[in-house]
Amino acid sequence: MFSIFNLEKKYGDLEVLKDISMYIGEGEVVCIIGPSGSGKSTLLRCLNLLELQTGGKIFYYGKNIDAELDTKKLRREVGMVFQKFNLFPMFTVLKNITYAPMHVNKMKKEDAEKLAMELLTKVGLADKADVYPVKLSGGQQQRVAIARALAMNPKMLLFDEPTSALDPELVGDVLAVMKQLAADGMGMVVVTHEMGFAREVSDRVIFMDKGYIVEEGTPDKIFNNPENPRTQEFLARVL
Amino acid sequence: MNLLSQLHFAKAAELLIPSLLSGFGVVIKATIFGFLLAIVLGMVIAIGRLSQLKPIRGVLYLFLELIRGTPLLVQLVYIYYVVPLLLNLLAGILGFKTDVQIASLTAGIIGIGINYGCYMSEVIRASILSVDKGQTEAALVLGLGKYEALFRIVIPQAFRSIIPSLGNYLVMMVKDTSLLAYVAVNELLLRTQNFASQTFLTIEAYTYLALAYLIISIPLSHLIKYVEYKLKTN
Repeated sequence: MFSIFNLEKKYGDLEVLKDISMYIGEGEVVCIIGPSGSGKSTLLRCLNLLELQTGGKIFYYGKNIDAELDTKKLRREVGMVFQKFNLFPMFTVLKNITYAPMHVNKMKKEDAEKLAMELLTKVGLADKADVYPVKLSGGQQQRVAIARALAMNPKMLLFDEPTSALDPELVGDVLAVMKQLAADGMGMVVVTHEMGFAREVSDRVIFMDKGYIVEEGTPDKIFNNPENPRTQEFLARVL
Repeated sequence: MNLLSQLHFAKAAELLIPSLLSGFGVVIKATIFGFLLAIVLGMVIAIGRLSQLKPIRGVLYLFLELIRGTPLLVQLVYIYYVVPLLLNLLAGILGFKTDVQIASLTAGIIGIGINYGCYMSEVIRASILSVDKGQTEAALVLGLGKYEALFRIVIPQAFRSIIPSLGNYLVMMVKDTSLLAYVAVNELLLRTQNFASQTFLTIEAYTYLALAYLIISIPLSHLIKYVEYKLKTN
């Protein structure tokens, strides 16, 4: 789906991403791990053009996302879930989910609401449809955010540290939803500090440090037999 | 009491209050239209100043400095007296003979709307900037366009936070309509001035005038406090 060649991102003199090349296949679950400030989130945000790359090329189904692709079309197909949920506070849970299908995909209201209820059931929050986001716990808000992203029927979802802003006891519910998505075959790129999730769910794990991809491979390889000393050192600290 | 026996409040009331009542209509009209103009202009300036195009930002900033650097009264006089003269002069140079005039209330509404629009634009701009960037990003990643994200997601949230300060501007504007007397708008102050100069009931007349403004502005500011409270508790 995504082929990335020599991607670079600089803010002034600060190089955040250096020479990143990687491939993300359809339906693949890729977890990106690494210390804070290693460029994980920036890499993710380059994929849907929330950040503009300063060098290299990103192809989405063979098309350069910078030049050959309509940004809105890309974003409709590649959904995103944020660390801080970013639900729309003035809308109810239901409207948060139906808004984009109705306004972007021109779906009829009844259809959009039916879809939203199905998705809310899937994330276990069907009883919260008419509630405003502020009344929900962080974990519930994040599950609504996942349902909102799914409502656009995306080919792939990007998760930017989806559990980092949650109280520890709420992390499990969100991860359970994400595991279910992976089991259903949804392609996902997940920037995360949840090593258990990365180990259990991903097809491939990428370890980033200081703007480089240091090592990548199957969860078994990365977690059980990391080759690079920096990967070993990082995992020794977090596991 | 000696003082009260020398004043003629009852007599003044009989003649002045009906006139002030019809003056209320003018004040309300000027405030409503002036405020609408100010909000629209404030939005346009605020959004324009957030534009990525430097020339647009520059021109708007210059305009803002111009309006904020001159008194409202001077602006009103300029719009009412100078602008028509300038237009006629320009038309004359181009070979047309014109006699453009601006109705005094129209000039007043334009002047007060532009002036308040400029001040309000800063409040609106700050409120747009204060909405979490994540809201825009969440809208964008769902496939919404830049402007749709701004108008449908960000601005509705920004407006909730500025209703109290817009309310304060509204109360200020009601009081500032008294300046329209200087461009011959027959509002409360002009009516009172005329009355006082004809009857010499100066103390009585201006006392009633002050009371007239209080009758509008005190309930209005309490109404705004109530709205603010309602917004906070929701």
